Amino acid sequence: MQVNFYATLRPIVGGRTVEFHVGEHVTVKQLVDVIVERFPRLRKELLNEDGNLYPHVHVFINGRDAPYLPNGVETVIKPGDTVDIFPAVAGG
Amino acid sequence: MALGGYANRIAHVDLTAGTVEYRGIPEDWARKYIGARGLGVRYMLENGPQVDPLSPDNLLCFMNGPLTGTEANMSGRMAIVTKSPLTGTVTDSHHGGWSAARLRWAGFDGLLVKGKASGPVYLYVHDGIVEIMDASEVWGKGIHDTVKFFRERYGEKDLSVIAIGPAGENLVKFACWVNENDRASGRGGTGCVGGSKLLKAVVIKSAKKMPKAANLEAWKPAQKRALATIMDERNITSPRKGGLSVYGTNVLMNITSAMGALPTKNSMVTSFGPSAEKISGEYVKEHILVDDPTCHACPVACKKEVEIKEGPWKGLRMESVEYEPAWSLGANCGNDDINTVAKLIDMCNDYGMDAIELGHPLSVYMEATERGYTNGDGGLAWGDTMAMVEMARKIAMREGIGNVMADGAEATARYFGHPELAMTVKGQGVPAYDPRGLKGMGIAYATSNRGACHLRAYTPAAELGVMPFGSLKVDPLAWKGKGELVKIFQDVHAFSDSLDLCKFSAFAESAEEYAAQYAAMVGVECTPEDVLKIGERIYNLERYYNNLAGFREGSDYLPARFTQEPSTMPGSEGHVCELDEMLAEYYAARGWVNGVVPESKLRELGIID
Repeated sequence: MQVNFYATLRPIVGGRTVEFHVGEHVTVKQLVDVIVERFPRLRKELLNEDGNLYPHVHVFINGRDAPYLPNGVETVIKPGDTVDIFPAVAGG
Repeated sequence: MALGGYANRIAHVDLTAGTVEYRGIPEDWARKYIGARGLGVRYMLENGPQVDPLSPDNLLCFMNGPLTGTEANMSGRMAIVTKSPLTGTVTDSHHGGWSAARLRWAGFDGLLVKGKASGPVYLYVHDGIVEIMDASEVWGKGIHDTVKFFRERYGEKDLSVIAIGPAGENLVKFACWVNENDRASGRGGTGCVGGSKLLKAVVIKSAKKMPKAANLEAWKPAQKRALATIMDERNITSPRKGGLSVYGTNVLMNITSAMGALPTKNSMVTSFGPSAEKISGEYVKEHILVDDPTCHACPVACKKEVEIKEGPWKGLRMESVEYEPAWSLGANCGNDDINTVAKLIDMCNDYGMDAIELGHPLSVYMEATERGYTNGDGGLAWGDTMAMVEMARKIAMREGIGNVMADGAEATARYFGHPELAMTVKGQGVPAYDPRGLKGMGIAYATSNRGACHLRAYTPAAELGVMPFGSLKVDPLAWKGKGELVKIFQDVHAFSDSLDLCKFSAFAESAEEYAAQYAAMVGVECTPEDVLKIGERIYNLERYYNNLAGFREGSDYLPARFTQEPSTMPGSEGHVCELDEMLAEYYAARGWVNGVVPESKLRELGIID
């Protein structure tokens, strides 16, 4: 599964897009666990002390932030879904 | 005046008579409206809301707040306040750099300019005095050459030059003032008002004379606490760590595109797809970034200086590739060439045009061309970079069709017989957030007192979850609660714009930090509740001005595209902006009657007796 990273996350993963080998029916939460296992430095960027995604971190599945999907971070990612992960971003 | 912190000195300049008078600030006004934006609007109300923006009777205010130029973080801000020739509303537009601090160090809280000079002039501000000087030598010059001229005349040390360029001289309705080569008070056409008065520049010479707080004992902890919030790694302001510091404002380009909230090709669609990456902050950092300049008292350094490495503009070094102009002249125009984006922004900085607004007449022309509305005119294709550069010059010089486009997007759309192509509110083009994907921006644009604007109520802070320390996160696609949310943002920002602190301080500081710094500097009591009340008063003052200027019931709207044409892109697919629902919520929170402030509200807030 391909995952796109942005902004300050890119130097940590070493590029824009990283391929992760996950099984079928992987959920958003499970994918995040796989990601931080492979890139331990991402743990403190993405997850709070309780192991939940920070509110300012965005894991988009087809452009929709995972917490707002009907099943939240338990949403199963389908083949062909676009996954984008952003740190805190703002400006104006 | 009993209040501390202020210079308590305003220069009243009459360009018709060629005179300058110096007066203090009415204490009641300072207490009610603070400074910068709020105080500037109070002077505008006194001058009369019916004034023709381009008549000598219009007032042009260069206003500081009581924190400007102090040790307060992000306090290098000045508000230019006037009646806008683009919108017909009162407007205020802020810039960073050092001119605001130097104006304070030179002994002023503000300059109020009225009348019209008999020939081109500039104001030379130094040592507590303002001199009206002949500017015929620089009239016609671009801003970069104008700055160079004054640096040679007065020496570069301790000097700030705020100038208009040929666009202001030619009365382009979205002409702006540019400070120190590239820090623009961009929005609302304040530079056009300068041009109408034959005022070319404000030149300020002053060494650092840091103002002292009225309550020194309270000031130090207040300033230290505010700094700690900015430096904290949990906030995006964190120097060299947070996204805003590392990539600048353009760190937004990819996320708004990915979530279907990036107005693209005159807002026909809500995402620029893979092309967003090519004009993003990440791309800029990887390919053309050369420096990270900053402003007075700011550790964030969000400005991004670039150097073009190839192509027709190879060697051009400029700042700053910000999110808003990169969107306006990039995605909005179907242009994914970052070098051309940088070139066009630099042209705006030199001609003195609002780089957000410029994209609007261009994209209207492009959509009109695509739809066959140009009546045999040669047209303008999406992303035609060379044609965009030439058209920018024609607009600044009012040549050919550029003479029409210089009056803005609405005039351009009317010219082609299709006013619905203008993505404007009250004449001003929308900024870089599509309200079908970020609903809060819809109600914020519609109810902004200066026409479409993202900075009156920066709801993406909540909709993207970047409030200080993650204190609030709301669904960008939900409309419920956004009317009330926008009111709170508008009131808090009206207060910070009147201090005058950079808007980005709101990513780290809350009303508590604002209240503590203001109270200590000025020597009054101030609570977070007072911050909201004073901000509400300022917002209502502006709305009262606009009501008197003719903006009555029904003046708060959005272009029909946002409320009637559903998004077709991932992230916001199928969504329109539910403006009517949010307006009802907003007016209930404000106590307004369909956009008009009732007298009872004006009395409650102490705006009228």
